[in-house]
Amino acid sequence: MQRRTLLKLGIGTATLLIVAGGGLALLRPGLNDGRLAPAGREVFHAVARAVLDGLLPADAGTRAAALQAHLKRVDDAIAAFPSATQAELSQLLALLGSAAGRIGLARLRIDWPDAGVSDVQHALQGMRTASLDLRQQAYHALRDLTNAAYFADAAAWPSMGYPGPKAL
Amino acid sequence: MSQQPDPIRAGLARGWRVHGGPHAAAPAGLSCDVAIVGTGAGAGITAELLSMAGFQVVLAEEGPLKSSSDFNQRESEAYPSLYQESAARKTADKAINILQGRCVGGSTTVNWTSSFRTPPATLTYWQQHFGLKDLSVEAMAPWFEQAERRLNIGPWLQSPNENNDLLRRGAAKLGIASAVIHRNVKGCWNLGSCGMGCPTNAKQSMLVTTIPSALDKGAILLVQTRAQTLEMAGGRVAALHCVPVGANGTILPAASTRIVARHYVVAGGAINSPALLLRSKLPDPHGLAGKRTFLHPVVISAALFDHKVEGWDGAPQTIYSDHFLDTQAIDGPIGYKLEAPPIHPVIFASTLPGYGREQADLLAQFANTHSLLALMRDGFHEQSPGGQVRLRPDATPLLDYPLNAYVMDGARRSFLSMAEIQFAAGARRVLPVHEMAQQYSSWAQAREAIDALPMKPLLTRVVSAHVMGGCGMAGDERLGVVRPDGLHWQVPNLSVHDGSLFPTSIGANPQLSIYGLVNRLATGLAKQLGGRDIQLA
Repeated sequence: MQRRTLLKLGIGTATLLIVAGGGLALLRPGLNDGRLAPAGREVFHAVARAVLDGLLPADAGTRAAALQAHLKRVDDAIAAFPSATQAELSQLLALLGSAAGRIGLARLRIDWPDAGVSDVQHALQGMRTASLDLRQQAYHALRDLTNAAYFADAAAWPSMGYPGPKAL
Repeated sequence: MSQQPDPIRAGLARGWRVHGGPHAAAPAGLSCDVAIVGTGAGAGITAELLSMAGFQVVLAEEGPLKSSSDFNQRESEAYPSLYQESAARKTADKAINILQGRCVGGSTTVNWTSSFRTPPATLTYWQQHFGLKDLSVEAMAPWFEQAERRLNIGPWLQSPNENNDLLRRGAAKLGIASAVIHRNVKGCWNLGSCGMGCPTNAKQSMLVTTIPSALDKGAILLVQTRAQTLEMAGGRVAALHCVPVGANGTILPAASTRIVARHYVVAGGAINSPALLLRSKLPDPHGLAGKRTFLHPVVISAALFDHKVEGWDGAPQTIYSDHFLDTQAIDGPIGYKLEAPPIHPVIFASTLPGYGREQADLLAQFANTHSLLALMRDGFHEQSPGGQVRLRPDATPLLDYPLNAYVMDGARRSFLSMAEIQFAAGARRVLPVHEMAQQYSSWAQAREAIDALPMKPLLTRVVSAHVMGGCGMAGDERLGVVRPDGLHWQVPNLSVHDGSLFPTSIGANPQLSIYGLVNRLATGLAKQLGGRDIQLA
């Protein structure tokens, strides 16, 4: 079932699976029961460092804590999605979490935890303007979810000059 | 939490019959006169009228019952709890993000209150192309008047906020007409939080008007309960099967509910209503269910000003321009309506393009950012057939809406019109919301750049807050799913009463079009079923 749905995503994905050498069974899951699995966490952690560059706190300790809080919000946002969306996202993160998928989809040769901000930004920019729909869709999923989760938190609002809701 | 009086909690305290979710479990079986799917614009009007006519009504709503005590003006809570698919419902190719309500009151609980009668050009087109001869401006006027009275719809008399006034000023500089939007509010606090549920109950949504009225008359409401299938027997609907769903829409293992009624009204909103018909494998001899689903595809233009705009503050969408609808043929190149939407951190940051330092610089100027949207009038041209609702393997709906060259040509013209108006209003820079656009510092520069942008899906950011069609109404069964009286062409005890009825898009924010048309249909249905004489207001 999972395989059938994935193959419908397009020929690009099918090619990637062949490159991956065995299909989904060999990939680490992106989500477990609607929550970020280690592979998914690694991807979203790296994406957050790149997308939120210039917004995250400068101090290393504060920054690490902000990223952990951010990943918790990403997790909560994913939990609220319908199962069909979660299944697609899990497949995308599983692909991106594999070496072949990371290289094929994101064109990122360095593993997510080791990639620098500029490496990930370069990968995101390539996906953003790619001719393959799947790469563009992946860009929007990663980038939009990252921004939505980050700016859901009142702590992010001062950077935008947003005062928060009016008291009644 | 809002400290305002809460009419929903008060109603529950005095004994409203509400089941599902945190309320009493829904019974395994219910029988009634009329079963209604949904609680939004069409369902609300239908429930109130049929209850007034003396019928026992049961409503099934897949979203939760939330009210002013819950509405705390925070996007992080509103989107997951009040919107379809957590406000991230997408078309099949992920190129259009759809905002649609999923709670008691449906989209009326979370919309921005813009109220327009169905434009005369749209009604004329339906008369000419879909055999809806009775839907003239004159014939529809009394139905709209009643809905306007019932929901306190009138022109917004306070000053527009700066976000809207910039549209007015920019358009005026160019000789483009704009006008004041009518809103369904009573004692509005001018907060700007309509999209997160009105915390003061000023918005006259179905949540605080028709649904309470129906519940006070004895209607039964099932919440967090999805209408899964219509059971057919002998060419008629024999029952409606409903299943309990969790917060994210997943079907729960708890017992289902079978509702037996004399008549069934489907009003789950476009996308969901045709999906119910498809799941139920209803007769569809012409293969029309789910087809011709329209979205008013929207593109957005952001602009930076030297002064504060604070687009989150004050009534959203109080000024509009129909210049680019009225100055061209309805069946020519796609026309568009201009409005100034409210902007809040999550929706703004996730809709604007970019990442990293560039994004941080842009977001730092949020308070000085103006936003305009152009909603395109789809469905009036042979190259605008809209989208098609299909079912995923888990039987949930998925809308396939290809953004073709006809629509994307309109997107380019929309970007041009919006940029010109924003520069005329004094913008320092304009950013069309497109992945390859830059911030432009003059109209000449913007015009040249927009002319050269590749207008492709997924590069052009397209959103929608208006889903219409999919169970189209027509005077000929070969052209529509339902008859001019709202009854299904092939199933005599089934009606459709929501935005999925529209044979094209509306060309204006659709809520009042639904109220007016459904007022007419539900009044007729009450008479057909032998009810008391009634009038909405």
